[in-house]
Amino acid sequence: MRETRRVMIELVNVSHSYQSKRKSFDRGTHHVLNQVSLQLLEGETLGIIGRNGVGKTTMLQLMAGILAPTLGEVRIHPGKSASLLTLGLGFKPDLSGRDNALLAAMLQGSTRKRAESFLGDIAEFSELGDSFYEPVKNYSSGMRSRLAFTTALMTHVDVLLIDEILSVGDAHFRGKAQTAMKNRITGEQTVVFVSHMADQVKDLCDRVIWLDQGKIAMQGDSVEVTDAYTQHITKARKAGRSQQA
Amino acid sequence: MPFSQYFRLIDVMARMALRADASRFFLGYIWWVLEPLLWVAVFYVVFVVILGSQQPDFLLFLATGKLAFVWFSKSVTQASNSIVAGRGLVGRVNAPKTLFPMAVIQESMYRQIAVFALMITFLLSRGYEITVTWLYLVPLLLVNYVMIVSCSFVGACLVCLARDFTPLISLAMLFLMFTSGIFWDVRDLADPYKTELVLTVNPVAFIIDAYRQITMHNTPPDILHLLSIGAGFGALLCAMVLLMRRGSQYLALKALTA
Repeated sequence: MRETRRVMIELVNVSHSYQSKRKSFDRGTHHVLNQVSLQLLEGETLGIIGRNGVGKTTMLQLMAGILAPTLGEVRIHPGKSASLLTLGLGFKPDLSGRDNALLAAMLQGSTRKRAESFLGDIAEFSELGDSFYEPVKNYSSGMRSRLAFTTALMTHVDVLLIDEILSVGDAHFRGKAQTAMKNRITGEQTVVFVSHMADQVKDLCDRVIWLDQGKIAMQGDSVEVTDAYTQHITKARKAGRSQQA
Repeated sequence: MPFSQYFRLIDVMARMALRADASRFFLGYIWWVLEPLLWVAVFYVVFVVILGSQQPDFLLFLATGKLAFVWFSKSVTQASNSIVAGRGLVGRVNAPKTLFPMAVIQESMYRQIAVFALMITFLLSRGYEITVTWLYLVPLLLVNYVMIVSCSFVGACLVCLARDFTPLISLAMLFLMFTSGIFWDVRDLADPYKTELVLTVNPVAFIIDAYRQITMHNTPPDILHLLSIGAGFGALLCAMVLLMRRGSQYLALKALTA
């Protein structure tokens, strides 16, 4: 069945690097991705796993067309919209939660009317109550993540690029969010899900890519890849401990 | 992004920023009028009380020049930082980069409406009349706006490339404030050749002088000169729009990593 599916996003030999002021890298050049190729098929949930700083977020930014690769090519299926959902960034702190949600929806292409029609659901699902109308700068980090996740959930795009979005919030909301996300994923939605938490990726994704030092270390079935990743992390941790001892 | 969505977004972003800004201050929207009034009060203390200026309507002369200039300087300074300041959104959505400076420009345009209303009130209260010549304000405002937008786009790109441009842009605005005939009349220079030179070399000086010529002296500005400034900055604007479109992802990278 998979062969008949359309390719939504394709990365062909993509390398990404940028100049940094710190000279600790290759003469100030920071290499993030190195010759990475992959295909994202319609309707699948692709997981990207790896430690912090291996280029997971950059990969999503390339897929969303926010950044251009230094080398190689990113092909996005014509007429399809990809949207990056991430926590922390993206809020205008002086604006209320409501305004931020409205702005996010409009920036993702909704008309004002349509964006406004989402607001009721966002207020309800995020359980922010009256705080929804307060400036985001007064929010706790949990409240911010609830707003970010809900805004993400309610906007409808062809490809959802999700960056570590399920890793915060209290246990009650996290459970609710994960269920909502699962419902979304099991439908026709195409999703790329990035996390450094192996269990979440194993649970949600059909296929997983393990990214290490800017390259694909392993890809394939979600159980096999996440298990290999977990073993690798455990080994590295043990090695670190024995060195310290 | 379709045009209508683009302009709707600019408007929404500007209104949200204004509302958020007003809610931060105890006096809220009153600041829109209070700030220019305080400027005029400062001018009164410095130039009339301390320096004892005898020139008739010098206060009005200063207010017209300064308040028109503030529109330009504040818009350009704030818009120049807008892409970098909005990097949270830049890193999340592949939005046109011109959106960020445009939202800031729109915001200061709404504020400027209050300022212009105040200026007209001043003029009328001093016995000046609204005449047909005031129609020249339409092309003048338009050229002024194009100038603001094109300079803002240049500034926003420069700040993306290197943050060092932020203090340089502020310094450039200070330089322009002193060289554009705000506190002195460009037409009072002893050498008429110098007057001509200042008006030709510095488009800001020409614009400020034109505001005064129209409202205080009931004299139309040199329309050909005005149109050539408009054409020049219009061409710069088109070039910047193309550049920012083609370099959208490069600007995002610079805003996110520099």
